[in-house]
Amino acid sequence: MIIRLLIVVGVLLACALFALWWRRREGRMVEAHGLFDRRDLGIGAREAPCATIVEFYGEGCAPCDTVEQRLDKIAAEVCDLRVVRFDAGDRLDLADRYNVRRVPTIFVTDPDLRIVWRASGVPTEDAIKKALLGPEWAGRPNPAQEPAESR
Amino acid sequence: MIDRNGHRWGAALSAVVLYVGLIFDWHWVAPAICVALGIGTAFGLRYSPLGATYRFVKRSLSLQIPVVPEEEAPPRFAQLMGFAFLLVATVGFYTVENMALGWTFTMIVAALQTLLASTGLCVGCEVYLIGKRFSARGATT
Repeated sequence: MIIRLLIVVGVLLACALFALWWRRREGRMVEAHGLFDRRDLGIGAREAPCATIVEFYGEGCAPCDTVEQRLDKIAAEVCDLRVVRFDAGDRLDLADRYNVRRVPTIFVTDPDLRIVWRASGVPTEDAIKKALLGPEWAGRPNPAQEPAESR
Repeated sequence: MIDRNGHRWGAALSAVVLYVGLIFDWHWVAPAICVALGIGTAFGLRYSPLGATYRFVKRSLSLQIPVVPEEEAPPRFAQLMGFAFLLVATVGFYTVENMALGWTFTMIVAALQTLLASTGLCVGCEVYLIGKRFSARGATT
């Protein structure tokens, strides 16, 4: 019975370690490289949003709904932010091109649509905002946060 | 649509039953949970005995836990995976009488259910979504 108990403890320990690793990895914004095509995103040549977030979602994906709500909230707060969504199942070409392995996956781009950050899973609202507006932000400053005299 | 909380509760309950089964060498836990998962797979998760216990506890204790809606297809596929693994475990216990085979497959299911209950990571659901993408890719080529 002791051996059986040890096996159960071992399985639980392995699950706990995996869960810890998973929680650290899940939704973490990581630096990324690449460039989105304006035509793919439906952004005109003269349009220049301060940043663009591209979300790949999936049908029947509950975490995707959470990400969508967070992005909508941030889009309402951050001036001139463009959010573009793709169903990864419908746009397999884009999912393959940008190496989207699971949904939800989001990309944060600079004004030139260069990919700066990406995250798989459900990033926190703070993590997305830091990616957009933090000191590492490669794009131009958020107009909503610029002092009035500098506008 | 199903309640995600019920799905996670069911996973926790089945994991506990499977772990207790291993500790006391109760082979019957594998076919018992296999049948419970099979019912959910065949008739829909609203008929799953595991999910029913969640609704019963919630109602009995008047718990005000909000429903977290989730598409049914991925968790249903996950239950099918659990059913298949426990079927192999049952065959291991009762047909070929290979205890190592039986407990290995039982513990795989217990571990996956533990992950679902503790982190919300549903490996079966992920497999379903990957499979769906591959089938869509196959249809387009």
